[in-house]
Amino acid sequence: MSVDQIDVMLNDCLLAAGQGIGTEKPVDFDAVVWWRDRYRGFFMRALGRGNSYEADRRRVTAVGRYLGQRALHHAANAASVDLNAARLASHDVETGCQMNAEREGVASAAQPA
Amino acid sequence: MHTDTTRQAPPATSAVPPVQTGHTPRTSPALEPAVDAIFDDVFLSIGQAVGLRASFDYEAVLWVRNHFRPKFLNAMRHFGDRWLEDRSRVTAVCAMFGERAVRYANGADVIDVEAVRQAGADVERYCQLHAARSNGSRGRINSDAATGMIAGYWCIWEPAP
Repeated sequence: MSVDQIDVMLNDCLLAAGQGIGTEKPVDFDAVVWWRDRYRGFFMRALGRGNSYEADRRRVTAVGRYLGQRALHHAANAASVDLNAARLASHDVETGCQMNAEREGVASAAQPA
Repeated sequence: MHTDTTRQAPPATSAVPPVQTGHTPRTSPALEPAVDAIFDDVFLSIGQAVGLRASFDYEAVLWVRNHFRPKFLNAMRHFGDRWLEDRSRVTAVCAMFGERAVRYANGADVIDVEAVRQAGADVERYCQLHAARSNGSRGRINSDAATGMIAGYWCIWEPAP
């Protein structure tokens, strides 16, 4: 998996997150950069464990859309989706992701999804 | 689409180098990480415009990246990394791109590579017209005021010498 392929995955997933957010609020750039930094590492680790983005794309982008929806929810009455909303949304998504991974037996309770 | 005009540079701890607000052009290797962060922002903005009306083929995502990333990089080589200044205008064009892609998908659930090609052509035409108009109204394109109006990210518009 090349660095360029990881960046395409991030593009694809942030596209999906944007779909989940919609046009109701803008997104702060530092929130985008935070998501990028966080999920770049996660994706590299997942692919290093033998996962295939081609096989998992539908599920991963669905989670991306959910991430956007949660971020919009956490932005509440704020003028934009800010870093704090992005962090809270990631916590929601990663908690669910971890539970699914444990259910499917692909991660232990101590291992990030 | 709404755009944020009060965004801040990424924190110093970010793995992505902070986006510079100065206009000093940088060399390509220094710009590569910045353009990738910018492209995440661009894709997120396109996604906002499309919403849940349709999904994207992976090939369509690849086409957008492969087609426009070199143009963005070239614009940044010319004018420096001005993303925080240019972001609201560029993401507004992302909204246009997303709307056009939905239109060219013609009601399909999936936006394919042909739809994004057509949307991309529209955006490039808009970019060229806007850049030329900006040049005509501003006179010297190399001034700071004029570069603020250059819509060069999407079309590598080359100002006349």
